[in-house]
Amino acid sequence: MANQKSSSGLPFPVILVIGIVMMAGGFYVSKNVHIDFLTKLAEQGISLDPGKTISAIGVLLILFPVIRSFYIGPLGDAISGRTNELERTFTEAESLRSEMTQMRSDYERRLVETESAAREQIQSEIRKAQELRGQLEADARARADEYLHKAQADIENEKNRVINDLRIHVVDLTLGATEKILGENVDSDRNRKLIAEFIDKVEVPG
Amino acid sequence: MGEVLTAGTLLGAAGGEGGAHGASYEGLFVYLGIVVVILFLFLANAKQGLNNRVFKKWTTQWTEQLYLFIENMTVGIIGGHGRKYIPLIMALWMIIFVSNIVSLFFPTAPTADLSFNLALALISIGYVQWEGMKANGVAGHFSHFAGPKLGGGLVLISLMIFVIELISEVMKNVSLSLRLFGNIEGGHQAVVAMNELGAGVYIPIGFFLLPVKLLTCVVQALIFTLLTCVYISLVTHHEEEGHEHSHGELAGAH
Amino acid sequence: MTGHVFGLGIGLAALGVAIGLGLIGYSAMQGMSRQPEAIGKIQTAMLIALAFVELVFLLTVFVVPGSLKI
Repeated sequence: MANQKSSSGLPFPVILVIGIVMMAGGFYVSKNVHIDFLTKLAEQGISLDPGKTISAIGVLLILFPVIRSFYIGPLGDAISGRTNELERTFTEAESLRSEMTQMRSDYERRLVETESAAREQIQSEIRKAQELRGQLEADARARADEYLHKAQADIENEKNRVINDLRIHVVDLTLGATEKILGENVDSDRNRKLIAEFIDKVEVPG
Repeated sequence: MGEVLTAGTLLGAAGGEGGAHGASYEGLFVYLGIVVVILFLFLANAKQGLNNRVFKKWTTQWTEQLYLFIENMTVGIIGGHGRKYIPLIMALWMIIFVSNIVSLFFPTAPTADLSFNLALALISIGYVQWEGMKANGVAGHFSHFAGPKLGGGLVLISLMIFVIELISEVMKNVSLSLRLFGNIEGGHQAVVAMNELGAGVYIPIGFFLLPVKLLTCVVQALIFTLLTCVYISLVTHHEEEGHEHSHGELAGAH
Repeated sequence: MTGHVFGLGIGLAALGVAIGLGLIGYSAMQGMSRQPEAIGKIQTAMLIALAFVELVFLLTVFVVPGSLKI
């Protein structure tokens, strides 16, 4: 069990030197060293050449770091880089989405605000219009009442005047009639007063 | 071995004294060179498709899938701190897989050679020991071999457990390398045998084994890295008792 | 003669290993169908067990010819 030190831990030039030494040593062993045990093995059908093994170990020691730095390292970097990029893209998309959600909620809130403001405005306008209407109505009603009162007062005056006229006429008429009937000198002032009292008591409806 | 090996002899395949098994010293490194060239062409192609967004190039997509799969495996088996072993595990996976694939189309391949597999296993197990020493300290790592702490005259048993654990550590190397070698080389032998079966009527019957062998390639690369993960998790997960148990069972299975 | 014995031994080893592999697959599938959420863990354990059983056959294949020849 040879203790090979593989790629990790040793710098590449050291490995290169070890590998080349092992290759040369393997060549020497393959050409010059013959072991009885191995010839017996070869007779059994297992041909084993330690020189080849040592040289192959040397070659492989050099080959592994070369393959690693030539391809496997870059490949691993590319794969992990791609994974990182994917993750970054995903987080970016996530943040964009949350931003969008934020914006949408903002927009919705503003929409609601605008709507309520508009409704309020409409309400206030309506209220103002209603107030105006009530005022106008009250105005109109007041004026109508005024007209009505004036007309009623006029009517009352007229009626009183007519009643007075009528009363005078009736008194005159009655006096005349009474003069005619009695034909005598009646104290006309006293009678007239009497009749007026009577008429007041009778009172024509009207 | 027939037709297949004539191409192999050009590349020095049938050089060893063992005959058909594996390539000669130079042949092995020629094949290793082929594997490395294929691997780096693929990776260079895939590297152009790297960016921080979706990978469009199919090569890059494949390596991405492999990376994710291995990340899943290491994190699942070793735990949260298993992420730092991904480069080693993935490099092992790719080298084993590419050389298994090479073994489908070439007469031999690095992983069809026991010596190369032993090198892979030594690196894997050596890394496990290194990590164990880093995690538990050198003394802690070796006392880990002695099993649970026993007092009095039971120290003898601890000594026996220590020896058995050491043997099992050595056998881990053998089992890892022999499994890979046996599967790939066995696939080769099966294809050759079936080709000889159909040689009279000029039908390459062994060709139809290719899908099965492709499955074997994937599974063997997977098992090698999976076992490496398990071994790493055994030495770094010392606090959990259940893993001690599975450690014993795995050691017993060798 | 040794060739025949070798073939028979390999066949027996393959038989045993096949039974073992089948048992592993059987119980793993049963467990998976019973607990589909644990498929990942079961698969891992199953693959490890398969690997160890398979190793027995490989050891047989590589050890038997040598022990017969020598």
